Amino acid sequence: MAKRVGIIGLGKMGILHAGIVNSLPDSEVTAICEKERFLIRSAKAIIPNVNFYTDHSRMIAKEDLDAIFVTTPIHTHVPLVIDIATTNPSLSIFVEKPLASSKDLANKACRVAKKLTGTHMVGFQKRFSPIFLKMKETLEKGDLGQIMFFKAYSFSSDVLREGSAWRFKPGTGGVLLDLAPHVLDLMLWLFGEPERVHSVTSHIYSSRVEDYVHTILSYKTGFKGHVDICWSMSKFRLPEICIEVFGKDGSLVASDDYLKISKYGSNGAEQVYYKPSLQTSVPFLLAEPEFTKEDEAFLCHNKNTPDFFEAARVNMLIHRILS
Amino acid sequence: MRSLLIGDNSFIGVSHLAQSKARETMSRLNIPAMANVVEEAIQNGASGFSFSIHPTNQKILQRLHEENLPKRSFDIYPILPYAEGYVRLANEVGMGGIIKHFMSDLSLTSKTKTLLKGGISAVTLDPVKLLKFYTEVEIERYLRIKPKTATLRSILLHEVVTDLALAFSSRTLFIEYDKHIRKKFHVTPGYVTRNFARFVQFFHESNMSLKDTVIMTPFNKAGFQMNPSREKCEAALSSINHEGNVIAMSVLAGGYLTLDEARDYLQSLRNISGAIVGVSSKQHAQTTFRAFSKLLNQDDDCQQHI
Repeated sequence: MAKRVGIIGLGKMGILHAGIVNSLPDSEVTAICEKERFLIRSAKAIIPNVNFYTDHSRMIAKEDLDAIFVTTPIHTHVPLVIDIATTNPSLSIFVEKPLASSKDLANKACRVAKKLTGTHMVGFQKRFSPIFLKMKETLEKGDLGQIMFFKAYSFSSDVLREGSAWRFKPGTGGVLLDLAPHVLDLMLWLFGEPERVHSVTSHIYSSRVEDYVHTILSYKTGFKGHVDICWSMSKFRLPEICIEVFGKDGSLVASDDYLKISKYGSNGAEQVYYKPSLQTSVPFLLAEPEFTKEDEAFLCHNKNTPDFFEAARVNMLIHRILS
Repeated sequence: MRSLLIGDNSFIGVSHLAQSKARETMSRLNIPAMANVVEEAIQNGASGFSFSIHPTNQKILQRLHEENLPKRSFDIYPILPYAEGYVRLANEVGMGGIIKHFMSDLSLTSKTKTLLKGGISAVTLDPVKLLKFYTEVEIERYLRIKPKTATLRSILLHEVVTDLALAFSSRTLFIEYDKHIRKKFHVTPGYVTRNFARFVQFFHESNMSLKDTVIMTPFNKAGFQMNPSREKCEAALSSINHEGNVIAMSVLAGGYLTLDEARDYLQSLRNISGAIVGVSSKQHAQTTFRAFSKLLNQDDDCQQHI
C-alpha cells in the first residue's frame, strides 16, 4: 500500500516535496496543513483528492499518516517536531533544512528523536547529488593524497534588496540559516568536525541579518579551509556551491554542475564529470534530481540519510561561526 | 522534422554544463548582440525562436522589431511564466506576498483592468483564472512588440507549472489552459515537461488528446533530463504515433554531446517534429543551425506542421 504523507507548510518547499511525493510510485500526499486560508483556497483548485487543514494537530489526529514533511519557516520546525512526536511517535518526520533556528532547539529535537520509532531526516539534498557523492568517494579513496587545504563558496542572488519575509528577521533568518546550511553540511559530511572556527560577517542589503560570511575552519589533522557564503551576489540565476580541495598528490573542483579531478604526475590529465555523464534520471523530476532522491531515501527509510543528530551538527557549526 | 528553433538559454543565464559558463556568456552579450544571434540563427535555417517571458527576451524582440529584422519570416513560441523569477520573489516576500507582486508586475492597462472587473480576489484566489489572466496580459504585451516577420505559433506552459500539474494529476488545469489558448489566441497550446513518459501516460489515461499540442521535452543520446529513463521516454514517443508535436530540447545535453551525435540521435527517432537549440554567438549560430537544418523537411512519420 502506498505511504500516506502529510505536508505542513505550503510554501515553495512544501509544494516541491508534495509534488515529488505524490508522483513517486509508492507514496501519496493525502493531507496538507497550511495556516494561510487563501493559499488553501488556491491549492484546492488544482490539488484534488487531498484533505486540507489549518491546524497540524487536527491533521495528525484525523489522518492515518505514515510520514510528515515539515516545510514551514525555520523557527517553527522544532515546536512542530515536538507536537508531532508527542501525538504520534511512530510517524516518520522530514524537516526542511536547517533543523532548527538555534543549537539549543536542535538539541531539543535530538532528545525528541530518541523517542521516535519512525525515521527522521533533514533536507540536505546536496548529499544526494551525483557530483558531491563522487567527490566524497574520491576523497575517501585517498586519490588526492594528504589533504592540505580547501576553499569553498556558496553564492546566490536571492537577496538584492531588503526583504520583508521571515528570512530577514533576526533569529529566523540571515544567510547563515538560509543559504549556508547546505555548504556547511557538506563540509561536515566531507571533512568532519572542525577543531577551530574563525569567522567574520557583514551586511550588504539587509539591516537586521547578515548577508555575507567568511569562515576559516581548522581541523585536528592539520589542514584548513575557508568558506565564503553570500546571498547577495549578482547574476547567480541559481544558488551555486563550489568546493576546491588541494592534496599533496592532486586537486579537485566540485560544483553543482561538474567535478574536475587533477592528479599530479599524470601529465596534466584531468578527469571531468558533468551532470550528463552521471546518472541523473529519476522517477519524477521537479527542480533538481537530488530532491527526488532525498524524498525516496526518506520514504524508504534509507539508513545513510542526514538524520536529526547529523543536522544538529550544522546548527552547532552555525552557532560557532556566529560566536 | 518540421521545425528548428533557437532557444534563449544563453540570453537568460542558463547552462546545463556549468553556471559559470552561462555567466560568462551573459556578460559578453548585450541586447543588440543577442538580437544578432537570433537573426543569424534564422538566416541559417532556424524556423523559430522559443523564449521565456523574461525582460531580456522582450528587449531582444523589441530590438529586432526596431531594426526590421530578420527579413525571413519565423515563428515564436513563448514559454510562461518565468518561474525562476517567482521562486526568488517567494524568498523575498513569502508566498503571501507573491500574488500581490505578481499582479503589480503585470503593469495593468485599462484593458487588463476591465478583465479584472469580476473582482481581483476572484482571479488571485483561483490559480487557473490567474494563469489565464496572466497569459492574456503577457502575450498581448509580446504581440505588440514582436517583429513584423514573426508569427505566434504556440504558447507553452513552463515545466514548473506543467510538471506540478502532472504531479497532482490536475486535469482541470490542462483542460482550461488548452481551451484558453485555442479560443483566445487561435494557436496551439504547448507544454514544457521533463517528465515526458508520465505526461503522455497522464494524457492517455485522462482521455485528453495530444492532437495539435506542442510538447517540448528533453531527448538526447546521453539520456540527460529524460525521466524516468531514456528508454521509457523513447517508448512513450513511439506510442504517440501521429498525435502531438514533440520538440526535442537538451539535444546537445547542454554541450556535452557533439553536433553529429545530437543529429544522429534525433534522426533515429520517430515522431520528433522539431528541435530547439541554444547558441551563444553569431559563429555558433551559423555552425549549429547549418548542421541541424539538414534535418528539416526530411521524410519522417510526423508530418504535421506546428
